[in-house]
Amino acid sequence: MASLVRTPMRWATATAVAVLLVAAACGGTTTSSSGTSFKGTRNIGLDIAITGQSALYGHAISQAVKLAAADLNASGGVAGYKMQADILDDGTDVNKAVENTRQLILQDNAAVLIGQVTSAQCQATSPISKQNKIIFMAATCNSYQLTTEPDLINPYYFSVVPNTYMEGTSAGTLVGKLPSVKNIFIVSPNYLFGRSETSAFVAQLKKSAPDDKIVNPQSTWYVPYPTNPRWDSTIAAIQASNPKPDLIYSNIFAADQENFIKQALAVDPNFFQKYPMTTLSSVDDLNALQSSYPLGMHLYMRAPFFSLTNSKLTAYINHYRATYNGEYPSDWAVMDYDAVMTWAKAANAAGSLDSDKVSKQLAGHTFSSLRGYNFTLRTQDHQANVGETVGTTSNASGSKYPFPTLSPVTNLSGNNIIMPLDLVQELQAGQCEQGGKPTTTDFALCPSWKG
Amino acid sequence: MNASQFLLFAIGGLANAAYLFIVAAGLSLVFGALRVINMAHGSLYMIAAFVCVVVANTLGATLGFWGGLVAAVLVAGAVGALIEIVVLRRVYRQEHLVQLLGTYALTLIIAGLVRIVFGPDYRTMKAPGLFTGSVQLAGHSYALYSFFMIGAAIVIAAGVYLMLYRTALGRNIRAAVSDPELLNASGINVARLFTTVFVIGAALAALGGVIVAPSQAVGLTMDTDILVLAFAISVIGGLGSIVGSVVGALIVGEVISFGLANSYTNQFALAFVFIIMAVVLVIRPWGLFGAAEQ
Repeated sequence: MASLVRTPMRWATATAVAVLLVAAACGGTTTSSSGTSFKGTRNIGLDIAITGQSALYGHAISQAVKLAAADLNASGGVAGYKMQADILDDGTDVNKAVENTRQLILQDNAAVLIGQVTSAQCQATSPISKQNKIIFMAATCNSYQLTTEPDLINPYYFSVVPNTYMEGTSAGTLVGKLPSVKNIFIVSPNYLFGRSETSAFVAQLKKSAPDDKIVNPQSTWYVPYPTNPRWDSTIAAIQASNPKPDLIYSNIFAADQENFIKQALAVDPNFFQKYPMTTLSSVDDLNALQSSYPLGMHLYMRAPFFSLTNSKLTAYINHYRATYNGEYPSDWAVMDYDAVMTWAKAANAAGSLDSDKVSKQLAGHTFSSLRGYNFTLRTQDHQANVGETVGTTSNASGSKYPFPTLSPVTNLSGNNIIMPLDLVQELQAGQCEQGGKPTTTDFALCPSWKG
Repeated sequence: MNASQFLLFAIGGLANAAYLFIVAAGLSLVFGALRVINMAHGSLYMIAAFVCVVVANTLGATLGFWGGLVAAVLVAGAVGALIEIVVLRRVYRQEHLVQLLGTYALTLIIAGLVRIVFGPDYRTMKAPGLFTGSVQLAGHSYALYSFFMIGAAIVIAAGVYLMLYRTALGRNIRAAVSDPELLNASGINVARLFTTVFVIGAALAALGGVIVAPSQAVGLTMDTDILVLAFAISVIGGLGSIVGSVVGALIVGEVISFGLANSYTNQFALAFVFIIMAVVLVIRPWGLFGAAEQ
C-alpha cells in the first residue's frame, strides 16, 4: 500500500510541476506542433449555455470559438500568444453566468470574453468586464440597451451582432411590406431582450404600416421567461383573438420556439397558414425541427450561411463541417467566429493583449467578416453596422439541406438598420430616464425595457 | 370570454393538468408511504423522456412511442429501485433535511449522468400516428394529443386508485401511510414494500415524462421545471393523497391556463400557483385532501 506520508522527493517533484505550470500560465515560452514559438498560452473566455433554455445555441457557439482558437494558433497566435478556448456552462442562468465570468477573469486569466446568449446575462456580466478591464465581444446577446443605457455603457464592450433596434426595425419593415397583414398578435419573452426587440418592432411598424393593428393587449405581449414549456394558453389566445390575427410577431427563441411551433402544429397542422408568423430564427432553430419547420414563415435571421454566399464563408462552412461531423454552422457559429477573429485582428494590430490598447484598435476600425461584407465598430456605441437577413421559409433549396431555407430572401445592409447616431447619443445621455424628447418618435423605445 | 373561448382555455388547462397530475401522483405516493420528499423525482421524469425519445427515434414514431414507453418505465423503475435500496434506506430514520439533501444530491448526480449519456442538446420526437392531427370543437382547433394526455391521466388515476383500494399491495401501502410501525409489527416485509412503492412512484414519473415528450423539446432542465410544479400540486392537494393530486393538478393547470389568458393576470399566472400554495399551507398545512400528521 502506498504511503500517505509525503516524502521530500515527492514534494520536490510536485513543486517542479507546479513551477512549470505557473510559468506556462504566466507566459513561459511554448512551441506549437507546427514549430511556431509562443510567448505563452492565454484563454478566450466563453461562458455559454451548454445546457438550459438556450442550449440549442451554445453548442454551435462553443464549437465556433474552439475552431477560431485553433485557426488563430495555426496562423501564429495572437500578439505572440497561443490561444485556447476556456468554455464554461452557465445553464442559461444569469447568476451562473456572473459566477463563470468572474472565474474566467480572476482564476483563468482570460484575455477576452465572448458574450453569453441572453441579454439578461450580458446585462449582468458586462459590468464585470468593465470593472476588470477585459474586452467583451458580444456576438449573440444583442439588446441595444447594452451599448446605450447610461448605467450599462462599458468601454470594453463591442457588439458584432445586429442589436435589437436593428432586428426590430428589420422585422417592422418586413411586416410593413406584407400587404395582407392588418392585425398582428405579439408573443415575446418577458425580459430585456424581448421587451427591447418588441419595442423596436412596434416603433418601426408605426412608421412603415401605421394602419396595422396589434390585436392583443400590451400586457399579454410578454410571456413569463424562463418560459413554461407548455404553450397551450398562448396558442388558445391566438385562436380566440378577435379580430383574428393575420400575423404573429414573435421573438421567442431556441427551445421556446421549438415547443411553440410543435404544439401549435399539433393543435392545427395548418396553424401557420392560418396565422403566418414573423419571428427571429437561426439555422439552429431550422435544423432542430428540420422538415417540420413550417413553410411560409417570415423570418429575420442574423447570419444564415445559405443566404450570405461568399468565398470566405464557403471556406468556413467546409472547414466547420469537416471539423464537426458535417454539421452546418449556425448563425451563432458565424458571428462568434467573427467576434474572436475581430478581437484577434485588433490585438495583433495593438501588438498586445492589453485591453486598453486592443480597445483602441477596435473602436472606429473596420473588419472583414464571414458575412461577405466589412463592418465598422462605431466609435460612439461600439456597435458594428452588420446586416440582418429577412425572408420566407421555403423548400426552394430542395434537398440540399435537411431544413427549409429562405426564398425570397433579402440581406439588409447594416447601414440601413443601425440606430441613428443622434438617437444613440440621446439614449446614452439618459434621455429615456428624463422622459425622452417628444420630437423623437423612437422614444417609443424607452419606457418599457426595464419592466 | 365566450363559451367557446372558455372551452379553449379549459381544455388547454386540462392538458397541462394531465401530465402534471401523473408526475405529482408519484411524488405524493412516495411521500405518503415513505415519508420522503423525493427531490430526484423530476430526474426520473427526465430520464424517462430521454429514453423514450431515443427509442422512438430509433424505432419510428408509432411503434417507437409505445416501445419507448415500456423502455422508459423499465429504466426509470430500475433507477428508482437503485435509489431506494442504495440511498433512501439509509436516510429513512433521518430528519427531513437529511433526506432533502440526499435526494437533492441525487438530482445533481443524475443531471450530470444524463448529460454524459444523452448529450446536452434538446431532442424531439413525434407523437404516435394514432394521436397526431387535430379536432374541431365549437369553432376552434384542438390537438388530438391533448385529449390523449387527458385520457391517459384519467386511466392512470383510475389505475392508481384501484391499486390502492382494491389490491393487497394497496392495502399495505395505505397501512404504511397511516401507521408504518404497526405494519412492521404485522409481519409485512416493509423494506420490500417501500422499494415497490418507490418503483411505482418512479414509474409514474416515467409515464409523465413519456407522455410529455412528443409535445415539447426534451432537455436537461426538465427535471427542475417539473419538480417545482409537482411539489406545488402535492402541497395544495395534500402530500400522500392521490385525490389531492388530481385536484391540485386541476387547480394548477387551470390557474396557469386562464391566468396567462387574462391581460390583468398574464404576468402573475405562475405566481398565483404559489400564492394558492402558500394560502393552503397557512390554512390547512396538510393540504386540501391530506391527513394531518399524528
